[in-house]
Amino acid sequence: MKVRRLLAIGLLLAVVALVPVTVSAAEKVVVYTTLDEDLARAVIAEFQKDTGIQVEWVRLSSGEVNSRLVAEKARPQADVWWGAPAVNHIAAKLDGVTAPYVSPAAEKQPEKFRDKDHYWHGLYVGPLGFATNTDFMKAKKVAAPTSWNDLLKPEFTGMVQVSNPASSGTAYTVLATLVQIMGEDKAFAYLKQLNKQVSQYPSSGSKPATNAGLGECGVGISFAQDIVGKVIEKGYPVKLTFPKEGIGVEVAAVSLVKGAPHPEAAKKLIEWAISTKAQKMYAATKCWPISAGVKLSEELPELSELPVIPFDHKWAGDNHDRLVERWQKEVYGK
Amino acid sequence: MPIPAGPAPVPSSRTRTAVRGPKDLPVTCALVVIWLLLGLFVFFPLARIFALTLWPQGAFDLAIYRRILIESDFRRTLGNSLLLGVSVASVSTLLGFVFAFVVHRTDVPLRRFFSFMATVSLVSPPFMLALAVILLLGRNGVITRGVLHLNPFTFSIYGLPGLILVQTLNLFPVAYLNLAGVLQRLNPELEDASLNLGGSRWLTFTRVTLPLALPGIAGAALLVFVESLADFGNPIVLGGRFDVLSVQAYQQFTGMFNMPMGAGLAVFLLIPTVLGFLLQKYVVGRRSYVTVTGKPPAPRQNKLPLVAKAPLFLVCFAVSVSILAIYLTVVAGSFFKVWGYDYTLTLEHFRYSWDVGQKALRDTLFLAGVSAPISGILGMLIAFLVVRRRFWGRRALEFSSMLSFAVPGTVVGIGYILAFNQAPLILTGTASILIACFVFRNLPMGVQSGIAVLGQIDPAIEEASVNLGAGSAETFRRVTLPLIRPALFAGMSYSFVRAMTAISAIIFLISAKWSHLTALVLSEVEILRLGPASVLSLVLMVVIIGAMGLIRALLGKDAVVLTNG
Repeated sequence: MKVRRLLAIGLLLAVVALVPVTVSAAEKVVVYTTLDEDLARAVIAEFQKDTGIQVEWVRLSSGEVNSRLVAEKARPQADVWWGAPAVNHIAAKLDGVTAPYVSPAAEKQPEKFRDKDHYWHGLYVGPLGFATNTDFMKAKKVAAPTSWNDLLKPEFTGMVQVSNPASSGTAYTVLATLVQIMGEDKAFAYLKQLNKQVSQYPSSGSKPATNAGLGECGVGISFAQDIVGKVIEKGYPVKLTFPKEGIGVEVAAVSLVKGAPHPEAAKKLIEWAISTKAQKMYAATKCWPISAGVKLSEELPELSELPVIPFDHKWAGDNHDRLVERWQKEVYGK
Repeated sequence: MPIPAGPAPVPSSRTRTAVRGPKDLPVTCALVVIWLLLGLFVFFPLARIFALTLWPQGAFDLAIYRRILIESDFRRTLGNSLLLGVSVASVSTLLGFVFAFVVHRTDVPLRRFFSFMATVSLVSPPFMLALAVILLLGRNGVITRGVLHLNPFTFSIYGLPGLILVQTLNLFPVAYLNLAGVLQRLNPELEDASLNLGGSRWLTFTRVTLPLALPGIAGAALLVFVESLADFGNPIVLGGRFDVLSVQAYQQFTGMFNMPMGAGLAVFLLIPTVLGFLLQKYVVGRRSYVTVTGKPPAPRQNKLPLVAKAPLFLVCFAVSVSILAIYLTVVAGSFFKVWGYDYTLTLEHFRYSWDVGQKALRDTLFLAGVSAPISGILGMLIAFLVVRRRFWGRRALEFSSMLSFAVPGTVVGIGYILAFNQAPLILTGTASILIACFVFRNLPMGVQSGIAVLGQIDPAIEEASVNLGAGSAETFRRVTLPLIRPALFAGMSYSFVRAMTAISAIIFLISAKWSHLTALVLSEVEILRLGPASVLSLVLMVVIIGAMGLIRALLGKDAVVLTNG
């Protein structure tokens, strides 16, 4: 009766896989992180060394964490969400999957970098920027764009990339920035013109920067830390510029998961993630630290020298669905 | 000497199927267990997803479906998905058949090489194939710029043509593996008979070979079609502005935070799959394709005239060389300092990958190693029951085994979390949730190739065994199983490959304890560490090719697909 024996073996294997691995005595914390793979690896190793708390972590993109937290709501698997733009953390807050925590470390940071209800806490900041491929500049004999309107020049037709606001927080920051500096209707008129210049709207926010590096587009709109850290630092021929009319910033954040299985360790991790030591590590990967005491990487301009607008994260979070749907109807489908 | 025998009289395969009553205990047991498993791991998660679309806010509401039907955006995307699916299924099946025919039925040179390339192309770590194509044929690609001297920054591989290219290279091996099994089992005596009776080679091919391979062709086309619809990795990299449903569903989940909407779009992906399934059954119809009536004959090569040989050779050669070029790009990428700009050779990527990838590699190997045999054997068992036994819900069983394959991975992943993150069955965070996902998502390849091969084997052989006193189970093990070994090989290798290269479903199921190599590749691609991404992909490919060799060795010489020919 081999068939049954095979079935039995199959079932046995399934049962073996089901047996939970024995839990070690050490304190542990489960993290979903959206930090870049290499940064995540570094900060988690350092945190473990400092505290002795065992970290179990999974790296996911920001929207994936949102969906996963909602799907796991009935029995949360993770304790902390480390990284990802505040816009995503606001969506998680609205979905009721994160919990408030009054963090002493976060209280010391400027108010605009944290949630007033204590749901999410800022880690570092990143301004939007243009990544222009220098080979492309030579081939087309153009200068790197320094204004949103520069992108409408004929040389850039079909050469611009920005991610899709329906899937990317970066692109949504672009959309929300334009609405905040131009007013909603003017911003949409501009986006319709920009649409003719755009070759494609990739799903991931750093893709326009990496595509500019690979020469797949002339100009990519991404966050400056992605342009520097992921592209220029790796040796790709890209120049970083900023539009003079104004740029929005992202605040990368950390949140406590509602119903976290290990709340105490989770809080220790959040404190550490906001600490000066952690901020120095973020700064080393070309992010803008939020605390005044941490030095910015030398080649980057101070935030105060950039045309940063006072970006309203709460407004952006509350208007997300409406603006994206309008963009899909009036801009994308055309 | 095998006794040549023509196809059995038309209605025979049905009426002569060994009819078994409820007395047949092993069959009944097997059916109960299979239905329970399908119910738990296929229907339950899908039902959770379906419920999400009908009760989006807790109250019954059809708003999701209304929106999908009304908004032109969704209709356009659905049309794009169908266009892509039909194109890729046609091209892939044709190409798969040409390869299978050349390798198993002709004396065209370089058959070993063609067979190897066709199988190897299956092993493409997600994103890497598309990425390699961009690096070769992208706007700034090595070939586009360096060889063809096309104006940089103007040529575009993105959109429908690029997608058809990549998906075909990725999926035609599915058709090839499926059809290779069919052609190997197709009795050459029948072709000889046609030739001896004065039929030309062309006539023999169109009137004998092709019709006999029809169930396999239809099955292969369906698999490719379904997989093209559900594919997510290639469109997201190469789609450009050509939106497809799987990507749109993903965006609803991860960008708009609208799970009911994403799930609703996924439900729409199921409709073409159901239609495709019905169409396939209708086209293949109720004819008999029995050709194996005694000891299976050794595969044999026909001497072809040059006029037929040359074009076949050229097609296979061109495709094989393209695949080779893509893989060499990945190999080269492992050694270059900065892919595309700095061609200094370095081993640094290997060191880095070894540090970050060890655990993921171990996990991936374990998960694929456990799930592939379960999936392969279960698939054969279902195929056997569907083809050889009469019972209520036979077609339903075949169809159910296809279901979770047809849904985009993202949706399956979320369905699995919703289904298995609470009592009675808590599986989240364990290896079993990943294994279950792999087993049931990769089932159809085994089922389809099993059905195609079994359809060619005269049930009389099995009846003889039963008449001589063997039970159902013994007949399956000692008569049927040896006959369908090529299909078992195809099913097992393919589910192993898919388990090793899965991405979209497992994004939601991997945990700190159980990670997966492809998720790591994706993270590396995202930060433009193309070197380590290539190294990890290379490791994945080497492991898979090694494992396929191992499966072949275990299943015996008869199942040679990789190097036969």
